[in-house]
Amino acid sequence: MLAQILVGGVATGCIYAIVGLGFTLVYRSMRMVNFAQGQIFMAGTFLGLVIADHFKLPAVPLILVVGAAAFVIGLIVEKLIFRRLYHNHEVFVVGSIGLGIVLTNAIRIFFPEPVPFPKVFGTGIVTFGGAFFQISYVWVVGLTVLLVLGLHVLFAYTKIGRGLRAVAADTEMAGAVGVDVRKSIAQTFGLSFAVAAIAGVLIGPLYFVSFDMGDMIGLKAFSAAVFGGINSIPGTIMGGVIIGLLENLAGGYVSSSYKDLVAFVILLLTLLVRPNGLLGSETPVKV
Amino acid sequence: MGTPTIIIAVVALLAVPVLAPTYIVHIATFVAIYTLPVIGLGFVSGFTNRISLAQGAIFGIGAYVTGLLTTKFGWSPATAFVPSVAGAVVVATALGAPAMRLAGLYFVMATIAIHQIVWTVLMNWIDVTSGPQGVRSIPSLSIGSISLDTPERYYYAALAFALTSLVLAYRIVSSRLGLHLRALSDDELAASMSGVPIFRAKVVALALSAAWAGTGGFLYAHYMRFIHPEMFTLEPSILFLTMAMFGGYRSLIGMVIATAVLESATEYLRPFGEFRMIAYGLILLFGMMFFPKGILTLVPDVRGWMARLLSAGARS
Repeated sequence: MLAQILVGGVATGCIYAIVGLGFTLVYRSMRMVNFAQGQIFMAGTFLGLVIADHFKLPAVPLILVVGAAAFVIGLIVEKLIFRRLYHNHEVFVVGSIGLGIVLTNAIRIFFPEPVPFPKVFGTGIVTFGGAFFQISYVWVVGLTVLLVLGLHVLFAYTKIGRGLRAVAADTEMAGAVGVDVRKSIAQTFGLSFAVAAIAGVLIGPLYFVSFDMGDMIGLKAFSAAVFGGINSIPGTIMGGVIIGLLENLAGGYVSSSYKDLVAFVILLLTLLVRPNGLLGSETPVKV
Repeated sequence: MGTPTIIIAVVALLAVPVLAPTYIVHIATFVAIYTLPVIGLGFVSGFTNRISLAQGAIFGIGAYVTGLLTTKFGWSPATAFVPSVAGAVVVATALGAPAMRLAGLYFVMATIAIHQIVWTVLMNWIDVTSGPQGVRSIPSLSIGSISLDTPERYYYAALAFALTSLVLAYRIVSSRLGLHLRALSDDELAASMSGVPIFRAKVVALALSAAWAGTGGFLYAHYMRFIHPEMFTLEPSILFLTMAMFGGYRSLIGMVIATAVLESATEYLRPFGEFRMIAYGLILLFGMMFFPKGILTLVPDVRGWMARLLSAGARS
């Protein structure tokens, strides 16, 4: 029982972590929260579904193709929409919520009912410490680790990554020393779209996919990002996994109906007690 | 606004049910009900510079308290009014007062947490709230033996509440507390140096905002006669915030106009189903992309444009 709960918790936590990364990436560069992130994740899942249905790709190429396509869409959406919302955080909050509503209802027109996602990770059952679970869980956890390593390599060893980090640290100085700030911000959004879509392909085979799947997962992933530290990538990963675990433990041992409360109580307590989160470093404005 | 304008406006509002078809009266009733939480939001957002996404949940608490008292315990709506407002104020202050220390985006995040906590409890505390079944057959309001069970009759009740709340809000804004709040909104640090009890003023603003939202919820429950947790998701919170934002927080009349415009606009889009929600999302998105300072900033533009046009006409 416990092993089952822990494995499920880590897998769910990985999804929160990856979706949460979308919030973190944008927040680090912009000091803004993109509240459409959950819906972008949902739309990314459907992008994966359409690509998987049309081209019958195996898992790894599928993830690469979906990630690349989402990156390009992110660049375009940044140029057309987000760029006009940078005035202040209120404008960005309401504007991104509006975008989320548009995405949800646009997808709803094409997919009004929940649909199954192709089983790209196979249908095998794995046993581990007395727990039985689908092979997809192994993929979710394994690919999350790979994705985090990939992001680390990108940020630590590439020119693009150094540009992104420079913009995140100090936008003005980054511009002064020759980083193309606009391009870096666009790439940040591209990256946040790509990770959201990859999370979609990972979670797709576990459940049915539907137009409203992004709402709850998005808000919980957001809680995970704040809990771990919304400007810290390792913090977000940690926050995601901890919330996934706690939520599954609460669901297993306390009450399944209040499972959803865990993430939001943690979010509120984090903001009241330690607003920069477990590993975050920035001091929020306090009066 | 001069006295004649006010008299004309009130007479026009009183005449709506006489002149307009029921459907319009129905929408006008919603506008009157929504005016309350939107004005409430003005207290928090306009005067403490904190934008809240929890107003829909507080509105929901007002609705649930009266809904449960009148159906499960047989209270009359009139006696359930005070507990319903008090419930909203208690929950909002208990959860929100500590969060008033946070500013900017961090406050928005905290209100989302508060919203989701309240919503999850409404949905899952089945013994008390009936959870996903909702609360059915809530009685309508009544005066003496006259039940206000038609949109026309209910409209007058809602209008009375809306106008009273508007007058009260004006009184509060121009009182000493209002002065403190205005000082606070300009510069918290400077206000505290001038002896404004900042934290207390902020918590009072929050409590007032909750009282207005709770009253709105009370009216909503007795008008709809049926409430369900899905009515109090983040969606109404976003709607109220947009109405307050488009109206420009500090202008009470601006907020009332924005409420009327947005509510009727989205109501007319209802036959379009999913497309209605897409249009609503686009209104939010384009509104923010092109009019980041509120739709009403258009008004001076129109005036300036007219003036230019007239002067150009005069020259030629």
